[in-house]
Amino acid sequence: MTERDTTVIARTVTRTVVPIIVLVSVALLLQGHNLPGGGFIAGVLTATAFALLYVIYGIDSVGDSLVRHPDGFPIAILRGPTAAYSRAFTVGLAIAVVGGLGSILLGFPFLTQGVVFLEHVPLYEELEVASALMFDMGVYFVVVGALLTILAVVGAE
Amino acid sequence: MQPSPLVVLGALALPFVGAALTPLVYRLLGERTAYYAAAVALGTFGLLASQFVAGVEGAVHVPWIPELGVSLTFYLDGLAFLIAFLASGVGVLVFTYSAGYMHGEEGLLKYYATLLAFMGSMVGVALAADLVALFMFWEFTSVTSFLLIGHHQRDPESGYAARKSMLITVAGGLFMLVGFLLLAFVAGGTEIGRTFTLVGGEAVTLTGETVMLESMIGNADLMREALTASGLFVPTMLLVGMGAITKSAQVPFHGWLPNAMAAPTPVSAFLHSATMVKAGVYLVGRVRPLFLPELPTPDWMLVFATLGLFSMTVTAILAVGATDIKELLAYSTASHLSLIVAGFGFGGAAGVELGAETGAFHIFNHAIFKATLFLVAGIIAHEAGTRMIDELGGLREEMPIVAGITAIAALGMAGVPPFNGFWSKELLFETAYYVAEAEGGIFWLYPAVAVFGSVFTFLYSMKFLSLFFGEKPDALGHVHRPPVAMLAPPALLAAIALAVGLVPQLAIDAIVQSAFESALPPGVEAHALELSLVKLLDPTPYLGMSLLTIVLGAAAYTQYDLLHGAVLRAMAVPVTSPDWYYDRTVAAFGRGGALVDRYVQTGLFRTYAQAYLLSVAGLALAGYVATGAALPAFEGINVALPIVFVLLVAVVGAFAVVGAPSHVAGVLTLSILGFMVAVFYVLASAPDLALTQLVIETLLLVIFLLVLDRLPAYYGDIGRREGIQDVLVAGTVGVAVFFTVLLATGASPDDPIYRYFLETAPVPAEHGPFFFDAGGGGNVVNVILVDFRAFDTLGEISVVAMAALSVLVLVAMRGRGRGQDRPDSETAAGEVDAPASAHNGGASDD
Repeated sequence: MTERDTTVIARTVTRTVVPIIVLVSVALLLQGHNLPGGGFIAGVLTATAFALLYVIYGIDSVGDSLVRHPDGFPIAILRGPTAAYSRAFTVGLAIAVVGGLGSILLGFPFLTQGVVFLEHVPLYEELEVASALMFDMGVYFVVVGALLTILAVVGAE
Repeated sequence: MQPSPLVVLGALALPFVGAALTPLVYRLLGERTAYYAAAVALGTFGLLASQFVAGVEGAVHVPWIPELGVSLTFYLDGLAFLIAFLASGVGVLVFTYSAGYMHGEEGLLKYYATLLAFMGSMVGVALAADLVALFMFWEFTSVTSFLLIGHHQRDPESGYAARKSMLITVAGGLFMLVGFLLLAFVAGGTEIGRTFTLVGGEAVTLTGETVMLESMIGNADLMREALTASGLFVPTMLLVGMGAITKSAQVPFHGWLPNAMAAPTPVSAFLHSATMVKAGVYLVGRVRPLFLPELPTPDWMLVFATLGLFSMTVTAILAVGATDIKELLAYSTASHLSLIVAGFGFGGAAGVELGAETGAFHIFNHAIFKATLFLVAGIIAHEAGTRMIDELGGLREEMPIVAGITAIAALGMAGVPPFNGFWSKELLFETAYYVAEAEGGIFWLYPAVAVFGSVFTFLYSMKFLSLFFGEKPDALGHVHRPPVAMLAPPALLAAIALAVGLVPQLAIDAIVQSAFESALPPGVEAHALELSLVKLLDPTPYLGMSLLTIVLGAAAYTQYDLLHGAVLRAMAVPVTSPDWYYDRTVAAFGRGGALVDRYVQTGLFRTYAQAYLLSVAGLALAGYVATGAALPAFEGINVALPIVFVLLVAVVGAFAVVGAPSHVAGVLTLSILGFMVAVFYVLASAPDLALTQLVIETLLLVIFLLVLDRLPAYYGDIGRREGIQDVLVAGTVGVAVFFTVLLATGASPDDPIYRYFLETAPVPAEHGPFFFDAGGGGNVVNVILVDFRAFDTLGEISVVAMAALSVLVLVAMRGRGRGQDRPDSETAAGEVDAPASAHNGGASDD
């Protein structure tokens, strides 16, 4: 990618569009319980935003500007962004499982989800909080982490 | 009295927790970790003993997967206690002994952690009353013993032995699993109901409640009737038996046991005397009540008694051919296990009770004398520096105490009165004799073979003992005395053996009586087994058999070298060699695998795609044909105009893909197809699907473009042969997908599941501030994904994570495996697999 320069237009548009895509994906994640959306779609959308960055700016600059370089990983490829991505899907899986285990502690079967209505919240008056949102976040992080890992590893080849 | 759940579960968990803590302890204690491990084993022993002393018999029940009748149920009775005590008790001694033997060795941390986990698994096997739990612990023992046998990682022989034991015992375990599933299936057809509980009755749960467990053995008559009615009796018995006979190294699966001596000697002592191989005979004893009707002569006896006596003889002969002391002991182990299997195998009115006594008593005796002898073998190897029988002799001078210990154990192994092995072997003779008397005719072969095999047992036992007598070879230098940590365990075991030999009633009263009662079919009244030295004065036919064995053995011993040479020559002949079958089978698999490499996994994406697509399409089509699925009648086209338009564009896109001149054009036109499908979803009012399709399509496009940079811009010319091939593959896949869609959409179940989802997904009309019985969300698709079917989704995201991990590891490690065949081909396969499975995970999420 790097040997071919991208145009100024593409760079500028990307710079504007990427935050919007990420914002939309977060919105999709949060509204997923009641409107179209959900962890999976949101995750893929976030990954798409990153993919766009990769295509336009190249893999090295994304790694440099977005993610720190933790050194000392035994496997050479597990440095830079890839390490962060793989952490993301690890964390995601952990969130999903821990969320599921929580219901066991309360005496329900694994992964039972519940809904709580919070009353008298400023601005919203009544807020619906579904425990499934936590699970959704797990899905989100796994998808983002996994897709970006694949993208980074394959892209670096 | 009912067991205490906390104590039982604690005893079971202790070794595993101990294993998990080993790294920490090792850092603090170093080599003295041996004593820590011994303390853990002692703790398990003590916890179990507290239950045993209280006279507990019953089950502890923890629900696991109630819908499938799977639970973590542990049953404590004589047989379970016997095996668990042997595993933990011999464990204590083996750990103590290791402190001396493993001094200065590498990999001690791994060694102790694995050995602890192994011991825990064995205790699990002994206590598990649920077939699934039993299978789980069973395979744990296979895996941990694999690690233990392969302890010397860099030694190729060690690797060969570890693989061999793993392949044979795990494969046998899989047969056993099928047998277990058949048992559960058959139980489902009776009034027991589908259950995996093998043995049970009243059980206490963790919360202290008492529940009634329906178990297979508790309803053995019902089970036998159902098994016979469905024609599954013999298949199930053989399948379950496969697990037992591979694990306990019966002929023709005896090959792995002698190789397992590649493990450090304490491990061998543990594996061969008290644990791994005992799992097999334990299972035979445990399922015996299920398969053994009282009368008439059952299939059970024909299979197990015959196999047991046959393989007892074969392996005893092989032991005579051994040149290495551990090899001798290993074959002898196989032989004695066969004796136990034969004992448990006897049935009919004459053998049902005597056989159980034989099996249970010999389990005990064999563990005691064989552990002693292995520990002695370790002392010899450690102090004399060699294990070759030819090079050893006259060790008595330097190691008088060890010589005394060996004499007690070896005479017990030989079955010489009044040492411990004599009593249980005498029981075998008695059983065989009475069964032959009852059945007559060809059944007289049973006692004849028992005597014949025992002659060889006598022979090799004497050979082992002779290491301490006679002249000391000059080549053997000064032999040191063993340290106390290595001497104390065998001395203790020999003391027990001696006590049991002189007063057999001690062992019977302590545990053997209750253990053999567990191996009796329900309803058979157990008599008290009484043995004492006085019995030796009683002239009986089976005492005659014992004397005959000793006389023949003593006579044959003068010709030992001749026999030894003959057996060695026989072992060199492929057909009679113990390793030949295994090696040939593995080699055949290797050749078969190479074919797969050549024709399927060629490293070319084309071939992969062809193989996968054709097999999936073929399977699907074959499935439709086999189930006789009928195509729905054609009812005319009734779709709205916009949809027709969108689909038309998609079709045009599809044609454009075929006609595209370059990769980039191909990918771009392909995405036309994808976007049209997304629009179709919008029109079909499925916004969630549309959104997913759009985003995935975009991402795929970007990834394609990333990869395309490396590919040549233009397609190459296609030959006629490839063209035809491609048309065939594409055609088959197309037809399969076409029929799948038609059939899938044509089916309309009477009770559609969507109603349930539509009703329970949204916020219910009446609800409190907190509720969990409904989804509580407006987006049914997402509620299904994260709530109703969250477990599915969890599986899918695990697949996605796994795919990413494999890409990461395979790409990162690609450079390392050069020069070897396997890692390379795996890399190639993984790279192609991973993105595909990632996409699958995503696609099923839609």
